[in-house]
Amino acid sequence: MPEALLEAAGLSRRFGGLAAVDAVDLRVERGAIHGLIGPNGAGKTTLLNLIAGALAVTRGTVSFRGADITRWDAARRAQAGIRRTFQNLKLFAEMSALENASIGLHAGTHAGIFAALARTPAQRAEEERIFARARRALEFVGLGGDAGVAAGKLPYGHRRLLEIARAFVAEPALILLDEPAAGLNQTEAANLSRLIGRIRDAGCTVVLVEHHMDVVMSVCDQVTVLNYGRKLAEGRPAEIQRDAQVIEAYLGRGDAPPSKHALA
Amino acid sequence: MESARLKRSLTGIVLLALAALPLFEPHQFVLHMLSLVAISATAALGLQLLLGFSGQLSIGQAAFYGIGAYASGLLSAKLGMPFIVAFFAAGVIAAVVSLVMVPITRLTGAALAVATLGFSILVYLVLKNEEWLTGGSFGLMGIPRASLFGYVLAKPTYAYLLCVAVAAGVYLSLLRLQRSRFGRAINAIRQNEDAARACGVKVTLLKSQCFVIAAFVAGLAGSLYAHQVRYLAPTDFTFWKSVEILIMVVIGGMGSLFGAVLGAAVVVLVPEVLREVGDYRMLIFGAILMVVMLFGEGGIAGFLEQCLRPFSKPRA
Repeated sequence: MPEALLEAAGLSRRFGGLAAVDAVDLRVERGAIHGLIGPNGAGKTTLLNLIAGALAVTRGTVSFRGADITRWDAARRAQAGIRRTFQNLKLFAEMSALENASIGLHAGTHAGIFAALARTPAQRAEEERIFARARRALEFVGLGGDAGVAAGKLPYGHRRLLEIARAFVAEPALILLDEPAAGLNQTEAANLSRLIGRIRDAGCTVVLVEHHMDVVMSVCDQVTVLNYGRKLAEGRPAEIQRDAQVIEAYLGRGDAPPSKHALA
Repeated sequence: MESARLKRSLTGIVLLALAALPLFEPHQFVLHMLSLVAISATAALGLQLLLGFSGQLSIGQAAFYGIGAYASGLLSAKLGMPFIVAFFAAGVIAAVVSLVMVPITRLTGAALAVATLGFSILVYLVLKNEEWLTGGSFGLMGIPRASLFGYVLAKPTYAYLLCVAVAAGVYLSLLRLQRSRFGRAINAIRQNEDAARACGVKVTLLKSQCFVIAAFVAGLAGSLYAHQVRYLAPTDFTFWKSVEILIMVVIGGMGSLFGAVLGAAVVVLVPEVLREVGDYRMLIFGAILMVVMLFGEGGIAGFLEQCLRPFSKPRA
């Protein structure tokens, strides 16, 4: 069996009386693109937040590269190589695209207050490295021409890509994408699928929360289906598509997603 | 001209003009007022880092300003320490005291503002009531003039140049910080704390560092003030002084170092200029504040930048 990069065991998160995530086991293999799907409110984003350290777990453990990281805060997990994007875009709106990407390199670079005041040669060299890498990350996602534009002034689709550039710039071991295709048109979604493939080819393992089934089915190696906070099914995309329980979870309810998003 | 270069040249011109001012032999009182502008600007620059860069609203900067002033005054008047030692000690003591703020950096917005205000009130009461140390309501007298390398800066011109040099040094230092990894990270914290954390920024640590830097700078400003006026009273450091420093930063323009300096000039000089209108001066001052805030968040600096825009190309 291939090596697991990330493992969650019995992971639970309660909000008051509601179990948003309920005893979920998850195993993400190194080098995989692992999809997390499920109807609205199934707990996908909550699970992502538990992995990223943005929310504290109620029960269960998370381990990353064999180390128990359950009690680590978000910054420490980011430093260790877990990066994420946000479903509802959390960019630094007043900063340029290039500066946004450069923040992704904060962990892993070192110059502090005194180095900045003295503008030591090491500090200046580090600044050059930071911006060169940030620029490469922008080009990687296709935002090379937007480096100087304030993030808040970018068109919507470009903002989604900038979120990805900021998460990818440090070339983390694990990247968590929270509905990166939300609001994109078919062409943009197809480009995104290719980008996700290239991120994996660059050596990052990907966890992808997504409603857009074309994207999920075309790029994922493994798919986990959540429903009411519990794991409903798991397997290869083709297996998931045939799974009767999954189809019922999506189609057997009044609030099923629109047909474009439903299983093909 | 590129906008960053235009700004840099403007900064250089302003500094040169300030340094050359004594050549025109202005009245002693004018030099004194401009020294007070430079001192206030220094304190405001510290708050600009805290509020404008990192987004933490403090209404307690007078506490650190007062601690710096009294520390410097006491060290030189009672212990006979040279000015330069007392000056840096004032900054360090204010910075060390600011470490008590570390637990409250997890507060934001109004809660943080009230907590810092509470601290300002506490420090005022200590200055007023610990008579054995501070002289209480009678104040602290006999503070010597600033001196450098054994030379007492007796002429108002030299005292003025000292204040301008310190303000300029703080300005340029904070400019370097603003354009560094640290500066970008605190800017990121202000704009979106969750996203900063997700990038590996240690939010609480960096916020605390901002408090310490702002306190250090306020302490330096306090020291300059002590040796400029040479008599300290607790009433110089009430929460009203904290509010004044806040006004300087906000009307000058949030996030702009140049704005903090302009704001200090307005807050120090306008009431002085309005002295002739007597009782109505604070009324007019208040009205001016309201009008300036109508320019928007950019304050005076933002307004000037808009005026200069036709002359500068945007950064590529």
